[in-house]
Amino acid sequence: MNKHVALRCLSILFFLAVWWAAALFSTPEILPGPFAIGKTIVSNFTTPGPEDKTAGFHIAITLARIFFTFSVAMLLGIAFGLTMGLKRKAELAFGYLIPVALTIPTLLAVFLCVMWFGFSEAGGLFAVIMTVTPFVTVNMLAGTKALDKELVDMARAFKANRRLTIRKVLIWQLMPYIFSAFRYAFGMTWKIVALAETFGLKYGIGYMFTFWFEQFDMVQVMAWIILFVALMLILEHGVIARLEEKIFAWRPVHAL
Amino acid sequence: MSSHAVVIEGLRKKFPSPSGLGEFTVIDSLSLHVALGSFASIVGPSGCGKSTLLNIIAGIEPHEAGQVHIAAQDGANTAARIGYVFQSPRLLNWLTVEDNIKFALEAQGIGRAVWNERVKKYLDMVGLAGQDRNFPLNLSGGMQQRVAIARALAIEPDILLMDEPFSHLDEITARKMRVDLMRILERARPTILFVTHSLREAVFLSEEVYMMSVRPARIFKHLRVDIPRPREPEDPRLFDLEKALVKEFFAVLEQDYR
Repeated sequence: MNKHVALRCLSILFFLAVWWAAALFSTPEILPGPFAIGKTIVSNFTTPGPEDKTAGFHIAITLARIFFTFSVAMLLGIAFGLTMGLKRKAELAFGYLIPVALTIPTLLAVFLCVMWFGFSEAGGLFAVIMTVTPFVTVNMLAGTKALDKELVDMARAFKANRRLTIRKVLIWQLMPYIFSAFRYAFGMTWKIVALAETFGLKYGIGYMFTFWFEQFDMVQVMAWIILFVALMLILEHGVIARLEEKIFAWRPVHAL
Repeated sequence: MSSHAVVIEGLRKKFPSPSGLGEFTVIDSLSLHVALGSFASIVGPSGCGKSTLLNIIAGIEPHEAGQVHIAAQDGANTAARIGYVFQSPRLLNWLTVEDNIKFALEAQGIGRAVWNERVKKYLDMVGLAGQDRNFPLNLSGGMQQRVAIARALAIEPDILLMDEPFSHLDEITARKMRVDLMRILERARPTILFVTHSLREAVFLSEEVYMMSVRPARIFKHLRVDIPRPREPEDPRLFDLEKALVKEFFAVLEQDYR
């Protein structure tokens, strides 16, 4: 494990070195160096920027939006996916709509919602939920198809009731699918929340992209991009990866 | 009737045919009376409907006609507990060995107070003491099947159904498991209905053997194996019995397949 951490640190250092070297041959308007960006990020946190808000405020707004839309999309997707997977009629009735929902371009969904709701919080959030939910649904549907009938029969032979069967037999078989939906939805939510903030929502990291893009301030645009990436990495490796390790402890190490 | 653990009369079971058109009859007018406390084997070729029969007895598959009655050992009125050991272990790989057994105990509505004691007792019995916190995927196939046996015994069933429980194991492991099963059953003694395609396995383990033919399945012979236990796997009397039964089997099968 420590070896892995060391390797990762090395790769980050390598990336920073290449960046620094490339910046030497460029100008701050095209490619600012890592030190300039670092300084800007720090000062964004300490001194209020446009609208009299610090970076901490924008991050909090973006995270709140991500957390809310992600939770709603996961819950809806799991509910839809399980209903379709376990009730044949529901799948026959709605299954054919999934490819439609999957292929509507995200940008189109954002535009549509802006036209429906105006440049409001509700519109942006709705767009995110609308685009992420189908992906979760598809994953859960696949999960129900992979349920092991032999184990369900075993539970029935021992006269396990519905609740016990769901709790100890079904949920765990769906866990890998819930998790892959979780990761996928999480990545999508990030991107689409940033996109919605870029186009319509007030405040947030994406809002700052647009703000500094319109000022044509390369140092600030890059500072916000780096901040965005760093935040994502921390959440992914600090929270999600750890959760996954805990839930899948039962799998022998060589199978991972 | 009261001296029988399992009474089946005129059982009929149909499946939809693979072509989707119509049905075919897997089991027809099958009757079976297994004495209380007996170790009975059902022997028949693959695909003759042996597993289906066990599933019907366990109540996880419906049947079209006939009666299936399972008696509780201690008296008439309580519902009989049925333990089931499948061909593959069918363990919940995400639960520890201990929790797999507790799953069955909880499913059967057995009081939490006795869970730990039961887990310990039956893991000891199948030779897996100390494995309670381990996960199934860390165990060998034979050990997993032992957990499955402990799970079925832990509910202290009136009748134990076993569906070719050793057929997925290599012959050396299977042989050891058979001998161990005999030893285990000296201490825990439910009525056992054991399904197998191996006459050798059937005559070694059982007190009663039912021979089953195919299309549709019916019992064409019932006999008692009067060789006292404990038996040696190499006992020549077992070989002689097996030889005689094989002969009889082929005579019947030839007619069936004609």
